[in-house]
Amino acid sequence: MEGAYAGLVPSSSDAGSVVGTAALAATAAVAATADPGETSARGIPGSELPGPYEVGDYAAALRGKLRSFAQVQLTGELVNLRESRARVYFELRDGRGAMPCAVWLKDWEAIRARAGTAPAEGTQVVAAGGCDFYPGSATSSPGFSFAVSDLRVAGEGDLLARIERLRRKLAAEGLLEPQKLLARPLIPRSIGIVTGEGGKAREDVLAALARRGWAGRVVWGFAPVQDRHAAPLIGRALQDLAAVGEVDVAIVTRGGGSLADLLCFCDESLCRTVALLALPVIASVGHHTDRTLLDDVAAVSCSTPTHAAEAAVRLDCGRARGELAVAAARMRAQSRRAVIGRARSLGLLSRAPASHLERQRALLHQRLREMRAGSRRRARDEGERTKVRALVLERKASSALLDCRVRRPRELERLALALAGHDPQRTLERGYALVQTPQGAPIGSGAAARTAGRVRVRFADETVAAEIEARR
Amino acid sequence: MSAAGPPLSYEAASARVEEIIKRLDSGEASLGETLELVKEGKTLIEYCAGELESVSGALEELRLDELVARLERESEGA
Repeated sequence: MEGAYAGLVPSSSDAGSVVGTAALAATAAVAATADPGETSARGIPGSELPGPYEVGDYAAALRGKLRSFAQVQLTGELVNLRESRARVYFELRDGRGAMPCAVWLKDWEAIRARAGTAPAEGTQVVAAGGCDFYPGSATSSPGFSFAVSDLRVAGEGDLLARIERLRRKLAAEGLLEPQKLLARPLIPRSIGIVTGEGGKAREDVLAALARRGWAGRVVWGFAPVQDRHAAPLIGRALQDLAAVGEVDVAIVTRGGGSLADLLCFCDESLCRTVALLALPVIASVGHHTDRTLLDDVAAVSCSTPTHAAEAAVRLDCGRARGELAVAAARMRAQSRRAVIGRARSLGLLSRAPASHLERQRALLHQRLREMRAGSRRRARDEGERTKVRALVLERKASSALLDCRVRRPRELERLALALAGHDPQRTLERGYALVQTPQGAPIGSGAAARTAGRVRVRFADETVAAEIEARR
Repeated sequence: MSAAGPPLSYEAASARVEEIIKRLDSGEASLGETLELVKEGKTLIEYCAGELESVSGALEELRLDELVARLERESEGA
């Protein structure tokens, strides 16, 4: 008879401590129902084991045995929550084991009423109760469960303390820094986004990117972003984003949620993965009040998906386009002003009255004569150029005299157009020359030229040296 | 490319453009310097415009799982 219970008694020593002596003693109560003498079947020949017993009897004995185990409180993560008509089922899990649990609906309602809300999937809880066994029947399967009579959600204090310990550990290993040192382009061309496929965060991010005037490439890494089991999937999505290349920055985002909901973002291996990733990660998973470990490890931590998008594209591209156009216009205007200032004196020549041109021509002829009197070589070079200049002026003068009403305005218009939006270099290409000091500073007057003595005359193709006669 | 070499980033390029415009606006630049600055500024503005241009089209959306699957197929085929 004793043998019938030997199989029911947990043999390992650690289970024995939970079971206690009271449980062992209770087994005697079911002894009578498991009498092998009442069964008609014969045992296995040669087997020294007692029995055979009716399975129903054995199952009932097992139930009695399990129920006799000491009532205890267990703590772990609540997962696989599902309701039936009479009972609520779930599992308690931690890193080393799991236990199937069942609560009568009535008790569940009481727990819910007291907490104000039903304990949610992924929550860290404390459950009070004891072992139970449903013996099954001819038409239903048996099942073991930990019958929960009461349950409370582990205080946020417990969770925060655990997270804080992990945060200090990661900080001590220097894992909060590497992401912050990664360079992030001002205008990323490609952004990887890890978020729930149906979440509102997705729309928020897209709307924010559109407001930034950004329309590059988005790579969606859809992953669950709720319970702790999401952590490995989020980690893999980020690693894949880093691996496919061309992604400049990644965002992990979701809407708000309770701290328990955010536990997956406090997962140690996820945080370690992110810390060592070469891809900068922007986290937007919690709130100001619930800071997750991912927020600490990431390059940037934001409180909303919108902020995350703005952190990814730091430049308001729409505004930048406008500013760039303004900068380009200002640059053109400055360039034009600089050229026109110098070109105006040249332009004046083409507009000057004939008498002025005559005077200029006379002056040039005089200079020509003066130069001839100078050194042969220099005179020859300078003379050639002066002749050309005189020729140009003569031509202009005659054309100006020819028709000063029609052609001149047209000419001016053309000149203005040509100057507008063109390089100073173009002016030189059109035959003008720029007089500079040997150091390259522009000379704007005859007086300055005389003072300088030696000058450089810059043409479009090259710059030549020249010397100014001292006499007027 | 400008004398300052190829611009390394949008930040650097746009900051330099600001600098150039400030200098030009001051009116202190000689003609020679103006010519040089305008030339450099043009190059930088073209670079910035190119960067903005690259994110100016239509938003392109890809799925990571499809991208990964494609890469895996390609690597198997190779």
